[in-house]
Amino acid sequence: MSLQPDDFWSFSQWLLRPDAFLESALLQGIVLIVLAIVLGLIIGYIISSARYGPGEGFYAVARSTRDLLRFDLPGTSARRVMALARLAFKEAIRRKVLFVVGLFVVVLLLAGWYLNPESDDPARLYISFVLTATNYLILALALFISAFSLPADIKNRTIYTIVTKPVRATEIVLGRMIGFIGVGTLMLIPMGLASYVFVVRGLRHTHTQVTEAKVTDDGRVIGETDYVQFHKHSFSIDEDGVGLTDIVRGHRHVVRRENDGTFVIGPPTGALRARVPSYGEIEFLDRSGNVDAKGIDVGNEQLAGGYGSAGLSRLVGITKEARKIQHGYVEGGTLGAAIFTFSDVTPERYPNGLPIDISIRAYRSFKGDIEQVLQGSLTLKHPDKPIESVPIPFFVDEYDIDEKVLPLDIESSADNVATSTGSSPRGDDSAGNGEGSSLPTLNVFRDLVNEKGELQIILKCLNRSQYLGATKSSIYLRPNENSFAWNLTKAYASIWLQMSMVIAFGVMFSTFLSGPVAMVATAVCVLMGFSAEQVYDTRHYIDAGISRGGGPIESMVRILRQDAMTTELDVDTLAAKVIKTADAGIVYTLDAIATSLPNLPKMVGTAEYAASGIDIFGALLARHAFATVGYCVLAFLVSYFFLKSREIAA
Amino acid sequence: MNRTVALGRKLIYLVVLVAMLLPLYLLGQPAGGGTDRGGTLAEMRVQYNIAESDLGEISPASETMKLASLGLRGVAATLLWNRSHDYKVMHEWDRLKATLNQIALLQPHFDKVWEFQAHNLAYNVSTEFDDYRQRYEMVREGTEYLTRGVRQNRNAPRLIWYTGWFYGAKMGMSDEKTQFRRLFSDDDLLHESLLKENIAVDSPEARGPLGKPDNWLVGRLWLNHGYDLVDSGVKIRRQTPLNFYETGPKWRIKHAEAIESEGILDASAQNAWSLASEDWTSFGNRSIPTTAPFTIKLGQLDELFRQKQERLESFRKVTGGAYDKAEKEIFDTLPEDIKTLVKKPASELSLDERVQREAWEKNLTPNLDQVVAQADPSARLQAIELVSEVKDIDERILKTTGYRNQINYPYWATLAQAEQEERTVQARRLIFEAEKANSEAELDTAIDLYEQAFVIWADIFDVYPILTIDDSAQDLFESIRRYMIAIDSEELPESFPLTTFVEMMGQDGNVDANAYEQVRLVQKEKAEQRRKELAEEERQREAEAKAAEMKAAQEKAEKEKAEKAAMEKAAAEKDAAEKAAKEKEMKAQADKDKAEKAKARREKKKADKKKADAEKAEKEKAEKAEADEPKADVDPSSPTDESGTEPSDSSDTSDK
Repeated sequence: MSLQPDDFWSFSQWLLRPDAFLESALLQGIVLIVLAIVLGLIIGYIISSARYGPGEGFYAVARSTRDLLRFDLPGTSARRVMALARLAFKEAIRRKVLFVVGLFVVVLLLAGWYLNPESDDPARLYISFVLTATNYLILALALFISAFSLPADIKNRTIYTIVTKPVRATEIVLGRMIGFIGVGTLMLIPMGLASYVFVVRGLRHTHTQVTEAKVTDDGRVIGETDYVQFHKHSFSIDEDGVGLTDIVRGHRHVVRRENDGTFVIGPPTGALRARVPSYGEIEFLDRSGNVDAKGIDVGNEQLAGGYGSAGLSRLVGITKEARKIQHGYVEGGTLGAAIFTFSDVTPERYPNGLPIDISIRAYRSFKGDIEQVLQGSLTLKHPDKPIESVPIPFFVDEYDIDEKVLPLDIESSADNVATSTGSSPRGDDSAGNGEGSSLPTLNVFRDLVNEKGELQIILKCLNRSQYLGATKSSIYLRPNENSFAWNLTKAYASIWLQMSMVIAFGVMFSTFLSGPVAMVATAVCVLMGFSAEQVYDTRHYIDAGISRGGGPIESMVRILRQDAMTTELDVDTLAAKVIKTADAGIVYTLDAIATSLPNLPKMVGTAEYAASGIDIFGALLARHAFATVGYCVLAFLVSYFFLKSREIAA
Repeated sequence: MNRTVALGRKLIYLVVLVAMLLPLYLLGQPAGGGTDRGGTLAEMRVQYNIAESDLGEISPASETMKLASLGLRGVAATLLWNRSHDYKVMHEWDRLKATLNQIALLQPHFDKVWEFQAHNLAYNVSTEFDDYRQRYEMVREGTEYLTRGVRQNRNAPRLIWYTGWFYGAKMGMSDEKTQFRRLFSDDDLLHESLLKENIAVDSPEARGPLGKPDNWLVGRLWLNHGYDLVDSGVKIRRQTPLNFYETGPKWRIKHAEAIESEGILDASAQNAWSLASEDWTSFGNRSIPTTAPFTIKLGQLDELFRQKQERLESFRKVTGGAYDKAEKEIFDTLPEDIKTLVKKPASELSLDERVQREAWEKNLTPNLDQVVAQADPSARLQAIELVSEVKDIDERILKTTGYRNQINYPYWATLAQAEQEERTVQARRLIFEAEKANSEAELDTAIDLYEQAFVIWADIFDVYPILTIDDSAQDLFESIRRYMIAIDSEELPESFPLTTFVEMMGQDGNVDANAYEQVRLVQKEKAEQRRKELAEEERQREAEAKAAEMKAAQEKAEKEKAEKAAMEKAAAEKDAAEKAAKEKEMKAQADKDKAEKAKARREKKKADKKKADAEKAEKEKAEKAEADEPKADVDPSSPTDESGTEPSDSSDTSDK
């Protein structure tokens, strides 16, 4: 998976954006809450003044605000909230929502029909399938249970049996939200378990026999397993009788050779993982060795768009450029290089070498030697001093995560000896011999890491006029590994957060809209959240004058006229002007709304981490959790006032 | 009263509903078997062959997917299509494939989708990989995607054709062709799945000279499968028939070219070429639909000319002097130099003159309608009929010529003829070895081999001038250049056999149109002549071979007598016999093919005839003699009997 700039932010970076506060989530949240309060007060005043006249209306609004702060909030009792939550829970269960779990099981049972059995990476396919299915089902469910409950109560007047009791509006709202979240949680748990079983079972297979095996000259046994589930492995066994297969479809097996010459092939390993990456900062050097921000663009097609991750500063038009990370390429046989600077390289984190994962792209400017894949090299370098190791060559394994372990003790590069004999880290050993016949050995922590714990790794391409491409996430150190089950749990936690958010919105809308309308309103919010990126992009195209079909009206006209999106809009000038102005208005409004809504695709995107075998960062989950709490509080406040106003009306 | 009104209204609704359902019921009634053909919809389904079961394999996954999209199938497919493009841009190949899989489930009978996306995988995505093995995998997946399309669309010859195209052109013509061809021939899993598609990869038809499936030949089997389908009455859609039919025979030619370029330059290459020639000839005898209301046969151009001549003759007779008179009138209006040109006998014409005369030829025939008008009224009716016949033939000639030119039919025919000659293969082998020696810096050997090859090439070009204008001529020209480097000379020696060729290629290897026209004219006759020569040689060879066989049999009999006399000698003899048998056996392995058998026979015969290679000839004779010994006691499983049946077998192949 290729990560975008905001994926690398830590929680505090996301919350505060030290260099660009305008982009920070905190500011966005504050603005949203202030806006909600101001708008709420104004709307509340308009409504109540319409009802009671301007003077009395003001007092009504002031009274309910005072009620909230003086009585309702401090007086909210957990016991009553829980009692109401239990009610909501029971009510939802009585509406047979648990059928959704059954539906999910059915979906899982039939999934095999639609999932490509010949996939190269079945783990990724299966995991992203179960997570996406769960996600959509749960969101749909949250939509239904939350939107209909209150309106039904109000319509049946059963609400009076509650409001006549000494129950506060805050308690009613909170009780509903918590109750429904409880129902959702109850359903997520079996779904999560079923998903886990589905994925693990779906990937399980056994190779029962070895089809080909021969002993090599040096006593090793190499051979091939049988063909099961659209793949086979080749393996190599050492003299001690234990060996590994190669990685096919994301997994490998352990192969043992028994004394009687038979082979035992173990279960698949390595398919379900949660690598904990430690990303570095990337910097490119062009062919003459000058620093270059992005590396060479080899002209691969790129997707348009990507203006999303700039918060308010984008909305007010300060940040304009797209912020999408593209692969930067390094030219082979020149001074071109990609330099990764990793921090926190300590012996505690990497006791047995530096585990490094490489997933880079290769680009050939000419075919060259077809049978030979491109070669790259990795060089370890001190960030500040001119000390570097010998380059470690490797063959590029494209579209796969190539896992390597760099040794902690490594030969020094010949250049060091030539240029810096005097200041050589182990001057007495090497400089004494003078000739440089045997190069000194460097220790990573002692000689190559600086005081801040930083280490540079330089990627170069070894083939002349061929290119290797990388992004920040292409090469990372892997200090640790988490269990897949835990990672899946975190992915489910992310779904749980989304569900909570949708429930909060649903309850909020149901306090002042009738059931179906509340559901539609919530659905619109969810859809807007999902398509926020498209809205941002459309606004950008309109701002920048890029012809990509225009806003909604223009698009409609184009569809009806069957015009391509890059042609001039074929209507008369005045009409075009009207359409474009109206479109701009609509798109700007949509942009504002979409910016104020939770960014759901980003949250759905956490599934991608689990699917790609990368540990879901704590920071990511914390960000989602924080945003969820924020939106829930907002929804709670809005709900309170509306419910209060209805109480007054009643 | 209100209640009755409401009730009445409800009843009316009910009646209307039922009334609307009735026609639906009648239209959609299923066929009941026997004489009951069901409602109109059922009838139409049968009439147009569009019942799901007629279209192809029924896939429950596909059906449920269609249902699950709740009628928004098109919308869903469009969204997926967009997404597949995004995945492609993001290099998410696995997701791309998964999405394509879903599109295919949604719209399994939209054959352009299969075609487009298969091409996408095999041609666009495959090149994104750095490792050629991964590239091959992607080509294979694209091809298998297409194969799935074939399975789901029984009546789409174009998809089948395209599959054949992939196996041939993609695997055999891309930059990685050497690797792809090798990987394909070793891809046992693919071979298995091909067998399930009724593509007989295990048959000799599909196997190359090394006994493994060859991508060109497998492609050809696919194409043949498509031809059978069309012959059974399915229409070719979205493709011109000429293009559709040309590919299969062409793949055989490509196969022969490919194995030669890989260094198989022996009897198997010759055999491959002779099979290619057969295929091309039978392609010439296939009726091909044209844009005109008639069909044509590419190989029947001469026949058309003959028919036309025949009609003109009868026309001349029927119209009496009118035709001759008109002809004379035209002749009189010609310029003087053309007159002499026309009068000159064909054998005395120079090349330029022949081209010129060819150009004038069509102006020499008088306007037949006018001739009819001047003819004797009693014969006029018959004359008019003849005129219309001539016109019809003219149209056919025009079409046939046009179609022949479109695909350069005569060139390929000549090429196949030339290449199956032993000397061509030998010339190629010499060049191949010379190049090898050259690259290994064995200059003397290289020069020697080059020179030997050039002499033969000169002979070949003499008979097949058209070969001077093609790719392999270009390669030869390169070889000449390397030869010049090897002999370290800017100038070619005086006696250089290919001087004319080098001069012709002089200007960047471009041949001007006029020269091509000349070559084209001469080629036909020369090829014809050569064919006769070869046939004559063949006859002679056969006679000699018979004599040799008799002689060898006699010798053998004598030897056997001697064997009885001396045991040691017999043992030695047996060793030799065993060796020969082993050789035969090995050949027989590859020879399961009837065609291959023909090849072996030809090889033997030719080797027999080769006086220069006396040693080889002797050995072969011994072999032959032994093989033909009807009660050979050496090895019961020896392929003797099979080689005896060769002639009839090879004629079988040619029938195909």
